[in-house]
Amino acid sequence: MKLSNKITGCVLILFICFFSLATFFGKKKDYSDKENRPLADFPEITGQGLMYGDSGRELNAYMADHFAFRDSWIALGAGIGANVGEAFINGVYVTPERLIAADTSYRHCLPENAAAVNSFSENYDGAVYFAAIPTSAGIYSDLLPPYLAASTEKQMLDGFYGTLLGDIRKIDAYNILKMLSENYIYYRTDRKWTSYGAYCVYRTVIQKLGFMPVSYDKYTIRHVTDGFRGDLYSRAQHMESKADILDIYEYDDGTEIVRCRAYSSDGFVYDKELYDLAAGETDSSYKLYLGEPAAVVTLTTTVNNDRRLLVIGDEFTSCFIPFLTKHYSEIAFVSPKYMSKGLAEYLDPGDYEQTLFLLGIDSLETDVLGKIND
Amino acid sequence: MLYCSLLFIYGFLPVSLGIYYAVPKKFKDIALLLESLVFCGFFGLHLLIFMSAYTLVNYTAAQLTFRASRRKGILRVLPAAAGICLDAGALLFFREQWLFLLKGLFSVPENFFPIGISLFSLSAIGYLLDVYRGNIRAEKNFVRFALYIMMFPRLIMGPVVNYRSYLLILRKRRYNIGEIGSGMILFVKGLAKKVLFGDWLYMLYSAVKGCDFAELSAASAWLGITAYILCLYFTLSGFADMGAGISRCFGMRFPVSFSYPVFSGRIRYFASGWFIQPVHWFREYLTKPLSSQVRSKNLSKGIFVAVWVLGGYWFGFSLGGAVWGALTGASILAENRLRNVRLLKSNGIFYTFFITSFFAVFLSTGSVPDGLRYMWVMTGGSGIPADALAAYLFRAYIVVILAAVYASTDLFANTIQRIRCSKCGAVVNVIMPFVMPVLLMICTSVIACTGSSDAMIVRL
Repeated sequence: MKLSNKITGCVLILFICFFSLATFFGKKKDYSDKENRPLADFPEITGQGLMYGDSGRELNAYMADHFAFRDSWIALGAGIGANVGEAFINGVYVTPERLIAADTSYRHCLPENAAAVNSFSENYDGAVYFAAIPTSAGIYSDLLPPYLAASTEKQMLDGFYGTLLGDIRKIDAYNILKMLSENYIYYRTDRKWTSYGAYCVYRTVIQKLGFMPVSYDKYTIRHVTDGFRGDLYSRAQHMESKADILDIYEYDDGTEIVRCRAYSSDGFVYDKELYDLAAGETDSSYKLYLGEPAAVVTLTTTVNNDRRLLVIGDEFTSCFIPFLTKHYSEIAFVSPKYMSKGLAEYLDPGDYEQTLFLLGIDSLETDVLGKIND
Repeated sequence: MLYCSLLFIYGFLPVSLGIYYAVPKKFKDIALLLESLVFCGFFGLHLLIFMSAYTLVNYTAAQLTFRASRRKGILRVLPAAAGICLDAGALLFFREQWLFLLKGLFSVPENFFPIGISLFSLSAIGYLLDVYRGNIRAEKNFVRFALYIMMFPRLIMGPVVNYRSYLLILRKRRYNIGEIGSGMILFVKGLAKKVLFGDWLYMLYSAVKGCDFAELSAASAWLGITAYILCLYFTLSGFADMGAGISRCFGMRFPVSFSYPVFSGRIRYFASGWFIQPVHWFREYLTKPLSSQVRSKNLSKGIFVAVWVLGGYWFGFSLGGAVWGALTGASILAENRLRNVRLLKSNGIFYTFFITSFFAVFLSTGSVPDGLRYMWVMTGGSGIPADALAAYLFRAYIVVILAAVYASTDLFANTIQRIRCSKCGAVVNVIMPFVMPVLLMICTSVIACTGSSDAMIVRL
């Protein structure tokens, strides 16, 4: 028994030392492609941080992010977590069909956002449209166990729409998508909608905006990649869930995009393409739609009707924009999340006769629209 | 930096162990103290400053108490009383929620909590009482005393031992690879208790606790409270085992803090096996001295219950905790009275588990009205005996619960022991070096994503 303890002790110590040394001397990455997020930097030592113990916490986060063989560890942990007890890993519920973000805490849309939209609408001459897009957790909540599906996005949406002014035209994306939930309208590994989901909502939105939608059979659909793994996959690292397909909907009616100009959050202005096909091949393939996120993207097309549309949105919107380009001669797509200054610094909303708010409901849970009236 | 974080297991532990064994014997105490200071520093320099001041105050108080022992009257009592009041005051100040107003007055930084204060303040108070009573001399060696208060393997979860036993443990330190081996085994066991059982059961418990009590079914409520009591056991005893394991790696053999209390044959055994040292502390320093002063049997029973109330309050710092203490104390007395009833004798495990989990509701909710509402649901008061949630949770967690129940009894340990003593004892010895690294691997993979496990943190 004594000998056994000695051997066990030696093995454990060696095990620990091996991974400590491998972590210490191992090559450090800045960005995790698998998890789709930047990894923690070595904490800056500040007096404040040392006093309050933040440095210690940050050091642990750094250690965790750069731990030797991190990806394999997480995959092993996810494999264990998915098979013992509930299949609930890092706030993601694993079902055979898809991954769903689940949260026991109370979710609600912030009233500040409604106030911001209302005050925007009051100071604006044109028409304002609002479409809040549910996440996959909202549409597929019946796959969740009862206690996790407590606060439904339907209620959140209804509550939020109720606080918007009467002359803002609200678009009920929830019911459109809910009815089509049998189709591939949401990614299996991401909280966002697919291009097809976006198309289904586009049909309704564009009619409200005063156009006839392009019918589905006119599109040529191109599968750019079938290896897309979304943000839910990044959180759960659940190997067994099937990767997703990213599509491009193309329709040649003779119009084209003349210029696509982006204003990045740090003040750079540059031209880019509607689709970043190079990104489609990489691990962060969602950047396929409109490339790197920017504060404002303005698109000029050869559509000859002199109609201009202002779209205020987030990640949900970037795969929605291509559908709109067939109807407007100019579209400005604003992402308040990436704006470093007020909206008026970038453009004058008065130049656009219509404004469409199209945001994921999870964005409305944060104070996202604070800067649109500045 | 808790024991169950990557930074501790793969950073602090090997480095501190290496330094400790590298320095000559003379300087080992100083090395351990410096390491403990660094450990405190990871929680913020505020903790480091607080711990240093706390140690200094108690050291001085003990010296003064010792010097005053030849005096008479108020002068003799004063230093010890002042020290104890300061210690108890600090404990109350940091743990009691409603004193947050005072915190602003003292400009205590927000979120500052001296980790382990409940345990080391018991140590400090006990030490001052011992010096006052003349049981021990005041410690002259500051390093050794500072280690008594803030040694990092003991900081988070005790064990609270009296100073005499502490000195004995220090003196009997053994430095060899076998000791490190047993220590590491104990550490990994504790880690597995915390990260595997503790965290999984916590998910079950929080699933139930997050529900509206009015819509909860009785079956879910029982599942929830079973998960709570097991989760509490695995979390606390996991931390205690990790601490004891680390101490053992450093050559010190501290006693265990939990001896399989959850499924005991009597409430009394539950109470004495749950958090052994604090229970012992309350008996040694409060119940016994107070009871010896009174003649009346009823009065000493009253004292017994009152100390349990205090103990419950010490654990939870809430009214719920005090009620839990009162109920537990009273039920031990009732059990003693009824111990010859045959029905109770033959059903020990069942009634003990039934009653202790019933009372644990107050620990879980912390507030008495919520506890009563939860109890009402448990007795079927909501009118829903079982629902879809209960069925779902039961299906999802039955394996975890059964494994946890098995692991929380002494059956597993006894089986291993029996195999060891039998002819095939060699098997255990052979597989041990394989099983333990695998267990450590599993625990590491579970905490790898966030770097630490902070599902249920009991602030003691």
